[in-house]
Amino acid sequence: MGYDPKNPMEGRITDLGPRYYGDFLPPVIKENKGKWLYHEILEPGVLVHVSETGAKVFTVRCGSARLLTVNRVRLYCDIADQHCDGYVRFTTRNNVEFMVASEEKLEALKATLLKHKNVLPIGGTGACVTNIVHTQGWVHCHTPATDASGPVKAVMDDLFEYFGSMVLPAQVRIALACCLNMCGAVHASDIAILGIHRKPPMIDHDRITGVCEIPLAVASCPLGAIKPAKATNSAGEEVKSVAVNNERCMFCGNCYTMCPAMPLADPDGDGIAILVGGKVSNTRSAPKFSKLVVPFLPNTTPRWPEVVACVRQILVAYAKDAKKYERLGEWAERIGWEKFFEKAGIPFTDKSVDDYRLAYDTWRTTSQFKYTSHTAAYTE
Amino acid sequence: MATIEHKGKTYEVDEDGFLLKGQEEWDENWVDYVKTVEGIAEITDEHQKVIDALQEYYKKNGIAPMVRILSKTTGFPLKRIYELFPSGPGKGACKMAGLPKPTGCV
Repeated sequence: MGYDPKNPMEGRITDLGPRYYGDFLPPVIKENKGKWLYHEILEPGVLVHVSETGAKVFTVRCGSARLLTVNRVRLYCDIADQHCDGYVRFTTRNNVEFMVASEEKLEALKATLLKHKNVLPIGGTGACVTNIVHTQGWVHCHTPATDASGPVKAVMDDLFEYFGSMVLPAQVRIALACCLNMCGAVHASDIAILGIHRKPPMIDHDRITGVCEIPLAVASCPLGAIKPAKATNSAGEEVKSVAVNNERCMFCGNCYTMCPAMPLADPDGDGIAILVGGKVSNTRSAPKFSKLVVPFLPNTTPRWPEVVACVRQILVAYAKDAKKYERLGEWAERIGWEKFFEKAGIPFTDKSVDDYRLAYDTWRTTSQFKYTSHTAAYTE
Repeated sequence: MATIEHKGKTYEVDEDGFLLKGQEEWDENWVDYVKTVEGIAEITDEHQKVIDALQEYYKKNGIAPMVRILSKTTGFPLKRIYELFPSGPGKGACKMAGLPKPTGCV
């Protein structure tokens, strides 16, 4: 029975939830679930898990653009049909994984994947730069300060050598969010690319009364910069609106999220900030938030060369200097952030100095620090 | 801006069919129009109670009530509100009551 718009509740099926994951497990995974003994990374992008029953499963991980057409998904399905009995999975970083149960099948699978190496690059395991967790950008969202798919493609193109190799001290997780809603993993990634605004919202007094719940816009501001105010619309009538104290506004865009009559996107003002040093694992050190190191880089479409160069600069400095197993944040904290800025060749700006509520704890309350080229410049 | 005509009256609406001028343009005729697009057969007293509660709260506070407050003031559990308004309290009831379109990450 087709959907009948006159009778929307007729024959409606709801609250089914997702399909049970067990329905889609390859037989070798199903049989050995909960019995895995150990695993190895055979080469970049290729894993083997060995079960206590002696069964082995080989996994080949391939990069994926996350934003995919149905045709691309069908290609994945064709390869899965050809080599993996129709089974395939996606990782939490949106890589795609093909699994086979024997070495001969692995070789055949790899041969097929090599034929599609432009769209199915093998890699993303071990101490590498794996896929970039990213967001909607200008493809679909209404609050972005930058694009997502574009910068991700530009950065991954530049760092591609690190996707298919395992030469870094530890894995480097890069994430991108196109506004500071930070959908995804920007606040806890080794290197984070974040869209930011630099101008306060414009207030559309003609629409605001009809389309906004003004108390919500007022309450959405983390700095109390918005207050209700009377204003005059273009027809000369007095309307209920808001006033923004531009001196207090830090351009977060929360008010636009709540109120469509307060847009703030601006081609020259908007751009990208770089944060580094976050992680979510508990390994060795506790999870960390990423910290702001580059306050602004312009949105230079379509290849974002400034962002690409900056990410590479940070990554290379880290790869050269950090110890084995050391995540970027652990490295920066061990050598001291003043040394991080020196080694990464990044100018330190006042924008990195926290000034929000609990800021005091982030300042230095000790005389322990190292002289660097940056401090030399200040004390000259 | 799109406009909608229903029984000889014109309304300014956005792409999701919410009134752009809100309470200024809202009337009983608008309820009758939304009824036809939301799959509601007839406006009962219960529907009216929800609409009244929303409008009263909006006039007093300038925002739509939180779902829990709507349930408390009308005495309808969320399940009942969905039975009355199949699209839910935001897309269904608020649209019918002429409140602004819900915003945020929805």
